[in-house]
Amino acid sequence: MALIPGYRAALDPFSKEAKEIAEAAPSFDKIPRDVVDLAVTRLKWSDRERALNPSPEAVNSEVLSFYLMSQALASVSYPYSREVHFAGQSMKNTVRYRIYDLFKKGEEKFCLETIARIVKINELDVAKPRVAGVEIPQQDIFKIRDKRLQKDGVVEVDSWLLPQYLPKYAVHWTGLSPILRHGRLDMTDMYLVGGWAVLTTRDLWDIYAELIGAKTEEYIQSVYERMLETSAPPLPVLTEVGGRISSLVPKAPESRGGFSMQGGKLRPEFFPPCINLVLGGVGSGMRNFAIVMLLTSFLTYARFPPRGRLVTKISDTTDDISPLKEEVAPLIFEAADKCNPPFFRDQPQEKTNVYYHMGLGMTTEPKIGDSGRSKWYRCPNCTKVQISAPPLCRPDEFCRSIKNPLTYYFRKKSESYKNGGS
Amino acid sequence: MFRKSTAEERIRFYREEWNRRDVPDFIMHTLSLREFGFDLDGSGPNCRYNQFMMAEQLEDFLKNKAPYSAYASVALYEKPSKREDWLKAELVFDIDAKDLPLKPCKCSAGEVCEKCIEEARVVAAGLADTLKNDLGLRNVNFVYSGRGFHIRVFDDSVMQLGQSERSQVINYITGATVPPQMTMNLGYSRVFRERAARAFERLDESKVTEVVKSKRVVQKIFSEREKILGIIKSGRIEDISNVEGVGLETMKKLLGQIAKLNSGLTDGKVTVDTKRILRLPSSLHTGVSMKCILVRSLDSFKLEDAVPKFMREGGA
Ligand SMILES: [Zn+2]
Repeated sequence: MALIPGYRAALDPFSKEAKEIAEAAPSFDKIPRDVVDLAVTRLKWSDRERALNPSPEAVNSEVLSFYLMSQALASVSYPYSREVHFAGQSMKNTVRYRIYDLFKKGEEKFCLETIARIVKINELDVAKPRVAGVEIPQQDIFKIRDKRLQKDGVVEVDSWLLPQYLPKYAVHWTGLSPILRHGRLDMTDMYLVGGWAVLTTRDLWDIYAELIGAKTEEYIQSVYERMLETSAPPLPVLTEVGGRISSLVPKAPESRGGFSMQGGKLRPEFFPPCINLVLGGVGSGMRNFAIVMLLTSFLTYARFPPRGRLVTKISDTTDDISPLKEEVAPLIFEAADKCNPPFFRDQPQEKTNVYYHMGLGMTTEPKIGDSGRSKWYRCPNCTKVQISAPPLCRPDEFCRSIKNPLTYYFRKKSESYKNGGS
Repeated sequence: MFRKSTAEERIRFYREEWNRRDVPDFIMHTLSLREFGFDLDGSGPNCRYNQFMMAEQLEDFLKNKAPYSAYASVALYEKPSKREDWLKAELVFDIDAKDLPLKPCKCSAGEVCEKCIEEARVVAAGLADTLKNDLGLRNVNFVYSGRGFHIRVFDDSVMQLGQSERSQVINYITGATVPPQMTMNLGYSRVFRERAARAFERLDESKVTEVVKSKRVVQKIFSEREKILGIIKSGRIEDISNVEGVGLETMKKLLGQIAKLNSGLTDGKVTVDTKRILRLPSSLHTGVSMKCILVRSLDSFKLEDAVPKFMREGGA
């Protein structure tokens, strides 16, 4: 197979080759119909369908459909949701298939160059592998091989397959932090010597695919945050594609061991520092922004996240408004009471304002049928918080990976979940 | 030993004995980027958000206030006095003798003695070996905290890690997960065997009965202690079939229990909290009348080195 220039874009949608394609592309509402369909069908691909014709047109469609898929999910879902995870997994499988396919076709060098762009690789001497000055014992080499064969369910190995199962590369474990972070890789599963994880060829392909999968989820987070900044509704093509993708996502049980990934009871331990400050009450100058704009939108979107379709009102996400009365409203009113002076005591009309900002119109006794009577305000981004109420922004180190308080919540909850938290 | 010191002793310590040369370089070189916290009178570390631009300022503060406890952040900030603009944080582990999962002594909860401090020292040395050999980390420092040891890694390759990665590091170095493959010469397999063997030697019946219900089997485990220890050390757990009365399932439960105990070798909350303040090496641990000191080599650490002058001169 002759590789075409720019083929790398089909492996890494974040490579400069891919970004050039995306930048030169027309707006999504002018995109050809077959690319729109591809943004959905790519999530249904069987292994064989993941193969890519090495033509510039195919690479173009590939990249555009990836970005359409990502933006569509950001429009109808939220960071680290089941839909987003589904897309990340699918991307991982596609990349793994393609890189392996290239390898089979003799393009090992190209594969390694592609991987080396995002993680530093050390090539080992297969006959006598040494890492950080330590020679890997022969018995361990066999065990690493057997462990990997077992993982792949391979019983018989021929001389062509065998080399892929021998330790051949090492990458530094700290370069793998994006996948350690999201629980996609367990450190105790690695064979570490002097800081280097010893890998077979197969392991290296997998790890690269996992890295691209993790980057896909992080990219959708960044699009979601950007979208929260604009008041314009997403393009119809985005909500269309998002809805079609969501219908493909296997519906897992709502909660596992009492812990729900999708929506579910609020988990205050994952709230960002600014929300915790507001919950403790704020001074009179900041009360309106802190309680009505920030806390109200944060809590309602955290409790009622979008579930795969365009959301403009709470009833788009649920038929049951009781959590709003039982969980969300009490937190808001308690925080208001802790303000100095207490917020609703001197301004009782503000209480209806809270429901108004949830999109329930002017009311004190909201019903599900009220949703849509007013606009459901979105959670302001970190920059907006910094401008409107600077003292509330006391970032912790986790804040560096997010740009909106809601993303903090969704991401922290997801990381804790994947790392065995309860 | 290990008694509380008086306010007069504290004052004497800071005026006569405290020396800024006892503050480790890795803190001195980043002094102005750290948040300092103090417990001035024993009521808790309530004096926070302090920043010192120069060593002299820290010295003045300590000599004037003679605090009950002194702490510095493991994090470096652009604005430490606001705890804002976090730059990076040391990777730290707190091995507290009073909280060891398997204590070698009879001291009551919350207490320490020379025996459990010695145990904490050996645990710290083992964890540090794994940090260096397996994780390839450099600039691994040790501090005697007064009740145990801190391992403080000042290595740029890990200072940006988040909470999730840090908790994965704890699992790896403490042996908190039973690996599917226990017999490899190097890697996590070896770490787990070493930690598990060590824990098994220290295991008492009460910890075993938590997971093994049959009294007869528990007794068997203890009467065949040497054989089982050999099996753990080799990693060939299927060899348990050679030990009559103890099955593979029991062996797995036992290893699971050991992994759980191992996870308590270090206080996970300290490691994942990248904004935490830790006791300042060179300062006095008033609660036990010991100096918190940088330990250059754990092998040659002697508790006497941490005894303040006022205790040596018949204060005990
Ligand atoms: Zn003791």
